[in-house]
Formats: sequence, C-alpha cells, structure tokens
Amino acid sequence: MNDLKNLVEALIFVSQEPVTPERLESVLEGVPAADIRAAVDALAADYAADGRGIQIIRTGGGWLFATKPAHDREVRRLLQIERKNRLSSAGLETLAAIAYRQPVTQSEISAIRGVDSTGALKTLLEKKLVKIVGRKKAPGNPLVYRTSEEFLLYLGLDSLDELPSETEIAKILEEEKAVDA
Amino acid sequence: MPETPAEALPLEDASVPAPAAEAVPDGYQVRLDVFEGPLDLLLFLIRKKKIDIHDIPIAAITRDYLEYLERKTEINLDREAEFLFIAALLIYIKSQMLLPRETDLAEHEDPRRVLIDRLVEYEKVKAACSLLREREDVQILQWKRDFIPPLAGESELEPVELSLFDLAESFFLMMKRRAADDTRVIRGRDVSIEVKMKELVALLHDRQMIDFLPYFEAHASLEEALVSFFCILELVKSRVAVAVQDELFQTIRVWLRKDARRTGAHE
Repeated sequence: MNDLKNLVEALIFVSQEPVTPERLESVLEGVPAADIRAAVDALAADYAADGRGIQIIRTGGGWLFATKPAHDREVRRLLQIERKNRLSSAGLETLAAIAYRQPVTQSEISAIRGVDSTGALKTLLEKKLVKIVGRKKAPGNPLVYRTSEEFLLYLGLDSLDELPSETEIAKILEEEKAVDA
Repeated sequence: MPETPAEALPLEDASVPAPAAEAVPDGYQVRLDVFEGPLDLLLFLIRKKKIDIHDIPIAAITRDYLEYLERKTEINLDREAEFLFIAALLIYIKSQMLLPRETDLAEHEDPRRVLIDRLVEYEKVKAACSLLREREDVQILQWKRDFIPPLAGESELEPVELSLFDLAESFFLMMKRRAADDTRVIRGRDVSIEVKMKELVALLHDRQMIDFLPYFEAHASLEEALVSFFCILELVKSRVAVAVQDELFQTIRVWLRKDARRTGAHE
C-alpha cells in the first residue's frame, strides 16, 4: 500500500495536467482501481494535513499538485508575477450562463443576462474558459459555445456536475431574501 | 469576507446607488453601470421593495424603473437600448393587464409570465455567480505545476502576439548575415511549401523547440530559407506553432502549441 502511495505521488507530481484515474490505471497495469483510489485518497489526506505547503487537488477529472492558498503571496514573489485578476462581474455572469445552459449561443446568453454579451464572450474565449463547439441549425447558423477543460481547472471543479446545484442556488437566494427582509 | 459570500455581489452592485439617492435628492446621480444590466436593476428594485418576484406590481415597479432611467445622465446608446427594451416590456405587460377580459386569466396566461421567467432565471445565474466567485477566489491563490516560469514573460495560454514585423526583422537580419558570406553557389532545388511544412512540423515534434536563426542558416539556398520562413509564418498564423523572442534582435524560438502537439492539428 505504501509503495503504491509513493508511486502515485510520483506520477501526480510529474504531471502538469490532472492525472485521471484512468491514466493511473493504465500506467499501473494490473493494480485494482480501488487500490489506486485508496492510495490517492490516503496521499491527499497526508498533504491536506497541517505542515505541508502543497496539496493534492481534485480538478478537471483528475488529481493535481497545487500550492496551498496561504502561500500565494510568497509564491508570486518567487515567480515575480502580479496577483491573478478575477473575472469581471460581466465575465463571470456570462461564464455562469454558459456553464448552466450549454451548449448555448451568444444571443441566448445575452437574453439570459438582458445585456449584449459579445464583449464578455470574447474575453472568455481569449482566456480559453469557453470554446466554440459548432454552429446551431437555426437561422443565421449562430456559433455554439461550451465551457472548456480550462474552465474546470480555473474554478477547481472536477466536472460540470460539480457546478453549484439548484438546491445550493435556492439556498443562496433564501439567504439573500432573509438578509433583505 | 462577508459572512455569506452571496451578499458580496448585491452589496457591491446594488446597495451602492441607494444611499446616494437618499443623501442628495437634487444632484442625484445613479450610475447605471453599477448594474450588470436592466434585469439586475429590476431585481434590485424588487428586492428593495421586498416584492414577491412571482407577483410583481407592474405599475409600481415600472415607475421606479423609469425613474432610475431618467436620472441617468451619461448616455451609452447600446446599454440605453437594453434598459429601454425592458422598460417597453414593462409597459407592454401593464397594458396587457389593463385590457378587460371576459374570463379570468389562468396562471400561465399571466402577461407577467415572460418577465417573471427571465427574472427568475437571471436571479439564479446571479446566485450561481456568487458561489462560483467563492471558488475563483480560492483557486487563484493556488499555484499548479503547469505554471512554468514563462519563456518570454508569457505563458503559452496567452495567445502570443509576436508581430510579423518581429519575425520579418529576424529574417532580414539573417539574410544580411547570409549576404555577408555569400560565396557559395546557389543550387537550384524546388522546395514546395507542403514538403517544407511537413519537414518543419516533424522537426518541431522531434526537437520540441527550434532556434529560428540557426535553423535558417542551415539552409543551403535562399529559396529554401524563404519557403521555411513562410512555413513558420503559416504555422504561427494557424496557431499550430508559437514563436517567442526574448529580446529585440535576438533569436526567435519556435515550438508547437501544446494542443496542436496532442491532436495533430497540423495534419
């Protein structure tokens, strides 16, 4: 078990993209998927404990090493880069509309937001958070958009299923109403 | 950090104009741009009046809404149109509700339906935004190993905006060098772009990265060098390859884009 743990640690460490369970299974021929899973979970728990500067995160369908948020400032100082910018509210709104309604066209996004979203959409495309997946068979054959793999990584989501659910959203709305009342 | 992060957005977006409104009744200025759009403004008004979204008193809300629009001082035609569109929708709904009917309307025939649906959906998107924002705030503090100190101050994720002039300049620099010791006989050999392109892509695959200047200097003829140069321009243009120059007049490094390498998009 410990050997396996060390092994998956090495594999996740060298990878710059999320290492999927399938990838690990194909590399570790013959090792039962459940054992691999258990090893990764144990490893992730080790790193999650105090006394570590890095952690194993589950994102984009696989595992990845990442620094812990507390060390952001020093890491940036080392790499000599500015704080990463958050998305603008317009950008985030557009992204949320796409994430929940995909596949979706620009005019559908704009209709949801009540605002022309061409500019925000362009920014998201440049940031590679969304991608064009084709054209809709409708008048004008508008382009159809979806969120990308980078989108999952950007928000630390394992898959689209991890987007906040209807229930979570309803809860937020309840809370907001409670605050207003 | 507010206690419930969900508050963050409404606080930023919506509460700002309200106090200002009460404080300066005359020199009143509402910055509509604090709202993401007409639906955002409408939601703000509905919340402020503690109205049930499913039972909006259209007349009152329309009045508030138009008041806000009138106070708007700066004009941005595009955004104006969006706000006016919803204003028109509100007035249309009101007119529909005023029409005498022989029988009472069933719920799904409520003229407000179309607006309610949009508001409910928008409200959900906004709530989702506040949850996603929380995630974003944590994620941007975590650094992953795909962050390699950039080759030229930019990571590959950013489309590299190396201008064609930079490429061309390097090319001419190289040509000048060639001209300086051009004692060899130039052999006639036809090189087609297709052949060269395949050669170049194979080379890039093989070596991961090539140095622009040495690569060109290795060419026997001017013609072949020219063809290679066009190939690189083409590859960069079609986003198969990336070209980066660290400093002016230095060599340019060329490599295949990650996604191109993976999918073989160059085929």
